Amino acid sequence: MIKFIAANKWFGAIHVLKNVNLGITKGEVVVICGPSGAGKSTLLRTINKLEPIDDGEIIVDGKYLSDPKTDLTALRAEIGMVFQHFNLYPHKTALKNITLAPRKVRGLSKSKAEARALKLLEKVGLSHRCDAFPAQLSGGEQQRVAIARSLAMEPKIMLFDEPTSALDPELINEVLDVMTSLAKEGMTMVVVTHEIGFAQKVADKVVFMNDGEILEIGTPPDIFVNPQHERTKEFMRSVFHVPIFDEELAED
Amino acid sequence: MTKNWRRTKIFELNYEFDWSIPFREPYLGMMITGVKVTIILLVSTSITSLLLGTAISIMRISRIKIVRMLGTLYVEIFRNVPGLFWILFFYFIFPELLPSWIGDKLNTYTYYPVVAGILGLTVDNASYVSDILRSGRLAIPHGQREAAISTGLGRVQQYFHVLLPQMYRAALPPLGTRMVHNFKNTSLCMAITAPELTWATQNIESLTFRGIEATTIATLFYIALASAMIAVIIILEKVLKIDVSGISASEA
Repeated sequence: MIKFIAANKWFGAIHVLKNVNLGITKGEVVVICGPSGAGKSTLLRTINKLEPIDDGEIIVDGKYLSDPKTDLTALRAEIGMVFQHFNLYPHKTALKNITLAPRKVRGLSKSKAEARALKLLEKVGLSHRCDAFPAQLSGGEQQRVAIARSLAMEPKIMLFDEPTSALDPELINEVLDVMTSLAKEGMTMVVVTHEIGFAQKVADKVVFMNDGEILEIGTPPDIFVNPQHERTKEFMRSVFHVPIFDEELAED
Repeated sequence: MTKNWRRTKIFELNYEFDWSIPFREPYLGMMITGVKVTIILLVSTSITSLLLGTAISIMRISRIKIVRMLGTLYVEIFRNVPGLFWILFFYFIFPELLPSWIGDKLNTYTYYPVVAGILGLTVDNASYVSDILRSGRLAIPHGQREAAISTGLGRVQQYFHVLLPQMYRAALPPLGTRMVHNFKNTSLCMAITAPELTWATQNIESLTFRGIEATTIATLFYIALASAMIAVIIILEKVLKIDVSGISASEA
């Protein structure tokens, strides 16, 4: 579904993606973790070419992103993206946020788009908030609307860029629950997150990045419990600073 | 004593008011035409300068350097020359620059003063409008465009449904002030004998030496219409207001 072949990217003199090779198959849930500044978000954003790469190749759904003949707009319609800061359209209600792209890009009729939007709002537990403007919603609600907005395009892939990092701790779970159910439905997901618990439960594969490089790829226990690389070990030690939690994980 | 003398000097107008003059034909006709032409100038230039200003503001944030430069060139040329110059330009010079078959037609066209006035006011006001809208565009968080891109909206759709509505909202207060300014600038068209309200008052003055009555009425008209415009803008601001918390929540 997604394939990185020796992808490299620079921001000026800074080498932000170093020779990235990664394959993601259909239905796979991949969590990217690592310290901040490791290039996790950049990696995610190259998948729908919000950030172009400078060298190498990325193939998404059989399409080469470097190929000028690739219809990027059409491809992006197949890739949902959820942002750290939600990025809902502040001048539109929750419902209109969701119906915009299906109507304008997919050409759905108003009633069809609204029916789909209401179904999705119900799925994320917000059908009663359809007429609310983003400013009237809590962070968790906004993020769930944002997920519904992406799903309304019936994407083949969903990208999550630190979807819970801007949320109050109490609101994180409502978003993670939606993401978990989505993963169970077989959606191909790439998630940048610090929610190790979520990764542990849902991820098929965890990618550990540091300083623009992928250091390790493995199952959640591989990465979280038995990391091979010294930098990964160091990171996991600081993440699992409560020793008891470490032991619990080790038993899995 | 000197004080008394001064008072009489200031307040004793050597002028007999005759309030019937502006309400008597042919002067009443001039006043009515004046109001009509002023409103025609106001409405048409508000629309044209908003459209042209929007186009220029989009040019000025284009990715293509030459387009950006053309937009900036436009603003620098039209904003840095007095508006009156452009009104005179379109009346006296513009027809001469055109092929004679069309230039001659314009020169003899009865309503050409109004047309030239509309052109002059439009290019002048558009330069300000574009700059105001550009600042509105810069106020929109980058994530808004990314959200629109990632749902597969095309470039034009991004502007129409996501960026422009927010640009106009963010720019509404200075935009409203600018439009009132443009309304007052319609009086400059008297210089090219467009029969707008200020021209009517001066025409009545030169015909009757009793212009103060007409000018007073015109003054009240300008105050009333400008106040009405401000009121509409304030109402619009309230109706279209985006909760600031909504914007800041979606900001990086």
